[in-house]
Amino acid sequence: MFGKRIALISMLLMLSMILGGCDTAAPQSPTVPNVQNENSQTGIEPGKTVNPGQDTMTMTVYFATKDAANLISEKYVVPKNSHPAQTAMELLIAGTKNPDLVAVFPAGTKLRNISVKDHIAYVDFNDSLVKNNKGGSALEILLVGAIVNTLTEFHDIQKVQILVEGKKIDTISGHMDIGEPLSRSEKIIKKSK
Amino acid sequence: MRRFRSAFLSLLFLMLFLVPQVGMAALNDNRPGAKPAAAITSLKATALSQTKLSGNNQLINVRWLVHKDAVEGTSKLRLVIDTKDAVRVSSKLDGTKGSQLVIDINGAAVGNVNDLVDLDGKIADKVRFIKKDNTNSQVIVDLSTMIEDSDYKVFTLKSDAINNKTFRVVIDVNQVVPKVEYNFTAGLRNKVIAIDPGHGGSDPGAIGPNKLQEKTVTLAVAQKVQALLEKAGAKVLMTRKTDVDVFGPNASAVDELNARTLGANNNKADVFVSLHINAFTSPSVGGTATYYYQKSNYDILLANCIQDNLVKTGGLQDRGINAAGFYVIKKTKMPSVLAELGFISNPDEEKLLSTPQFQQKLAQGIVQGLDDFFAQAARKGGGL
Repeated sequence: MFGKRIALISMLLMLSMILGGCDTAAPQSPTVPNVQNENSQTGIEPGKTVNPGQDTMTMTVYFATKDAANLISEKYVVPKNSHPAQTAMELLIAGTKNPDLVAVFPAGTKLRNISVKDHIAYVDFNDSLVKNNKGGSALEILLVGAIVNTLTEFHDIQKVQILVEGKKIDTISGHMDIGEPLSRSEKIIKKSK
Repeated sequence: MRRFRSAFLSLLFLMLFLVPQVGMAALNDNRPGAKPAAAITSLKATALSQTKLSGNNQLINVRWLVHKDAVEGTSKLRLVIDTKDAVRVSSKLDGTKGSQLVIDINGAAVGNVNDLVDLDGKIADKVRFIKKDNTNSQVIVDLSTMIEDSDYKVFTLKSDAINNKTFRVVIDVNQVVPKVEYNFTAGLRNKVIAIDPGHGGSDPGAIGPNKLQEKTVTLAVAQKVQALLEKAGAKVLMTRKTDVDVFGPNASAVDELNARTLGANNNKADVFVSLHINAFTSPSVGGTATYYYQKSNYDILLANCIQDNLVKTGGLQDRGINAAGFYVIKKTKMPSVLAELGFISNPDEEKLLSTPQFQQKLAQGIVQGLDDFFAQAARKGGGL
């Protein structure tokens, strides 16, 4: 499913993770102090745990605040692999265990594919993203914001085009206009004090 | 006095770079919101990336991208110029030959970058590099529209060996939506007001825990708003009067949303009010919020007036006004808002929203909000 180019880009992404951005090189200071996940625990990498000495990568994933007003980032340390952007999306879909945060993906949503071309990530979900969506602009804003902000954490990704079943869609639940690639939204992020 | 101020600012800027945390934040020039020097907007006069400037420094490369904020729908051009070593930059707007942003780079020659880089014309048409001498170069950004000082930022970033990035000059220019100037008289009489009951027909919108549908509530409130406005002498344009799709069943989402804006645009409505009911995953969340997209001189005032009165008459939690790039408020030309009256996913609010009494209160809030709006707009703009 993933072409040569994707593999190459993933490797480049991985390389940038190995070389270590701010997040990997610096001591971990997650935005929400009590949610440092030493292990993804999400079924992403079945049977794999982070052993001492094993190479890891740090993923920054955005979830909604309980009042549906903002996004907050959570950091996950997971075993290193060759497809970190895919892993970040899978962590996002899997949701959070933090009782103060809320996952915003509709039930049954699955990642079909993710590719990066010219700094634009094309992230393709199954149609549960739309069909199982509960509606409401608050939910739509947080869902789109979480996808875009999680992916634009990667240096190589500057914009995100959301796809459903391989095709561009105009809107998820009838409020936002998502027909073109979108950039990060900083204002929706609640910064730690 | 001026010298003192610039010295102070330089010092402040240096201090910022000495603080490692801020240095870290500056590494990722990917993010439109990355804020190294951005926090200090008055640094347009002089930005220092480092005090020492090397001898054979030059510009290496220029790259650009137009970012569109995922939530607010606003666009921004980011131009990044890679330089071999640290430089000093200063910038100013020049409106004498069209609209130009002029950036002087002290400490680097133009080098081998292209003299002219064509942009897409959305925010700027082209960037030109002017050779000054061995240590000075000038960048001229030909902008598509006139902008103000607050619409752009120029700052420098240090080299970042870890991420294989050299020294950079970053130029951010916000897309300025040409704001249409409206003038309003006070009062509702003879005003043309477009009311858009959200969703409808094949699209129920959000559905509550007790199966109340968003499209039912938005239509009920809209009809009550219509009655009150017509009584006050206004002309009301309803995007739908019954439980139907506005464009037609099975239309594309864009056709459907566009159909709602067309009637308002073609009939030159004074204002556009879209009514929606919110939803979230957790049932405890509730309250009223109003969204705007700033494209005229009055979108924010309209949002404030509607929100204040909805909270007053409805009594739900005040979630405030927020900027959002929602389709219907972006594509309508006149001042417009999208009001999220309450949360259908909250059982208490779902119950309230289903009653004609509460719907009437919300309708009164909207109409009072419109009346307040025209009164305040008339005072502000002087009326006609």
